[in-house]
Amino acid sequence: MAVHRGKGLATVEYPTGMNQNGDPSQAWIKVKPDGRVDVFSGTADIGNGSKTVQSQIVAETIGVPYDWVTYDNSNTDSSPMCTGTFASRATFVAGNAVLKAARQVRERILAVASRELEIDPADLEVADGAVSVKGTPAKSMGVDEVAGAATFVHGELLTGDGAHLNPGAAIIDPTTGEVDKPPHAAISYAACTAEVEVDDETGDVRVLSLTQAYDIGRAMNPTLVEGQIDGGAVMGLGFGLLEDCYPYYPTAEHRGDGMNTYHVPTMAELPEIKNVLMENPSSGGPYGAKGIGEMSNNAQPAAIANAIHDAVGVWVTEFPITPERVLAALDAKREGRSEPRREGRVVAFDEELSINSFTSAKTWGA
Amino acid sequence: MELTVNSVARTVQSPPLTSLLTVLREELDITSPKAGCESGGCGACTVLVDGQPRRSCLTAVCAVDGAEVTTVEGLGTPEDLSRVQQAFIHHYAAQCGFCTDGLIVAATAYVGGGGSDDTGDIGEALAGHYCRCTGYVKILEAVAAVARGDTFDTASTASSANNTYVTIAGAES
Repeated sequence: MAVHRGKGLATVEYPTGMNQNGDPSQAWIKVKPDGRVDVFSGTADIGNGSKTVQSQIVAETIGVPYDWVTYDNSNTDSSPMCTGTFASRATFVAGNAVLKAARQVRERILAVASRELEIDPADLEVADGAVSVKGTPAKSMGVDEVAGAATFVHGELLTGDGAHLNPGAAIIDPTTGEVDKPPHAAISYAACTAEVEVDDETGDVRVLSLTQAYDIGRAMNPTLVEGQIDGGAVMGLGFGLLEDCYPYYPTAEHRGDGMNTYHVPTMAELPEIKNVLMENPSSGGPYGAKGIGEMSNNAQPAAIANAIHDAVGVWVTEFPITPERVLAALDAKREGRSEPRREGRVVAFDEELSINSFTSAKTWGA
Repeated sequence: MELTVNSVARTVQSPPLTSLLTVLREELDITSPKAGCESGGCGACTVLVDGQPRRSCLTAVCAVDGAEVTTVEGLGTPEDLSRVQQAFIHHYAAQCGFCTDGLIVAATAYVGGGGSDDTGDIGEALAGHYCRCTGYVKILEAVAAVARGDTFDTASTASSANNTYVTIAGAES
C-alpha cells in the first residue's frame, strides 16, 4: 500500500459563441455633449469582466480615455438585444458589436471635427480624447469640444450602432461529412497537464499541479484572462474529482441537496497552477480576441484521469473520480477482471431527472 | 436584544432564534453577508463577532446579544478602504463577488490575528469559503500581500507570477 505519483495530459479545442439563429449581439453608443460616451449593450456582466473589456474596446476604437466610457446594461428595455453571457461569447460576439458601433461614433466625431477645423476627415485622427491633424498634432480640438459643437452648433447627436451575427447552424452532408457553412467564429486551443498523487489504500487522489497553455487570441485585459483561467482550472479539478449531482445513487430521491453533498474545491484542494497564455490573434475577433471562458474548465478532468492511470494503471471512466471509484477500479484490476471501458455501457435518458443523460449499468467488460 | 453593528448600537426586534444573517439582512438592511447554502458550508455569510469570524447563518441572534458585530461595511468606506479591501482590488481577488464579503471579513481576522503569508496557513484559515470564479489563486495572493505588509495601489492591478505570455506573431486563425 503506497502513494503513487503520475502525470497526465489532455487537450481541448473550443468554439466561441453559438450558431443557432446567428447568436446575435447588438450595441448602440451615444456621446454626451461633454464628450463622455454611453454604451448600451445587452450583455450582462456576471463577474467575467465583460463590461470592462467592452468599455476598453469602445475607448480604444473611438480614441477616448477609458474612464470617459460608461457601460449601461441596467435594463432590458433600453439595451439592444444580446443572446446572453454564455458560450464564451461576451468578448468575441458582443465585443464585435460594440467595436462596430464605436467605429461609427468615431466617423461621426471626425465628420463634425472636419467641419469645425475645416480639414478633410481623412487627414484627422482621434486619440486620448482629442481630434488632431495627422502630422500636425498642435492643431487639434478635444472630443468634448466636438461633442459640444455637435450638440449646440450643428444640431446633431453623435451615435453609432453595431451588431454581430455568426453564420447560422451548418447542415452536414451525411455521405461526405462536408458542412455548408464555416465552423464557429473562432476556435481556441488549450492543453493541460496534471500531476497527481493516488493513495492505493484509500483511493484518495490529490492534484499537485496543473500546468496549462491557452490560445487566447489576444489578452484584451490580461488580469481578467488570468482570472478566468485560474478559476476554470479549479472548477475543472472539481468536475474531475469532487462534483456530482447524484453523489450516492442515480435516483432523484437520493440526489444531493446542498453544499454538504455537492463538493466544490476549496483552498485546501488548491494545486500549484501555472498558465501559459499564447496570443494567437483571431481574424474575426475584436482586436484578435477569442473566447476562453468555458473552455478553461474542460481539459483538467481528462488530464487528471490520465494522470491517475499513469500513477496506478487503472482507467476510471466516470466523473467525478471519487475514492470509491478508484478503489473499485483497483479491485477490478487486482482480481483480474477487465478494466471498465466506454464500449458496451448504457447511456440512458431519463426525463424525470431532467438532466441530459447519465451513465448507468456499470459494465465491467466481458 | 442589543447589538453593536459596525460600531453603531442597534436594537433588534426579531425573535431570539432568528439567525444573525436574517437579522442583518432583513431587519438591519446590511446585505453584505450573503445567504449561500444557509447550512454553514459555504462561508458567504461570515461576519466578525467580537473580532472572530462566525457563520451568521448558523448563529441565533440571542446567542450574540450584547456582542460587537462587524461586516464588510464596517471595515472601510469607499473613500477609506481597509488594507484587505485594497488588496482584493489590487490583486483582482473578486469576480462575481458573492463570496467576497465573507472572505474579506475572514481574511481581516486572519491577518489581524498575526497570520503569516504562507500559502498553506492562509489556505487552512480560509478553506471554509467556497469561491466558484477565481480559483482562489488571486485571493491567496491578496491575503499573502496583506500579511507581508505590502501597500496597494487600487488604481492598478498586480500581475501574477504564475502566468507566462507567449505571442505567436503573424499567425491568424
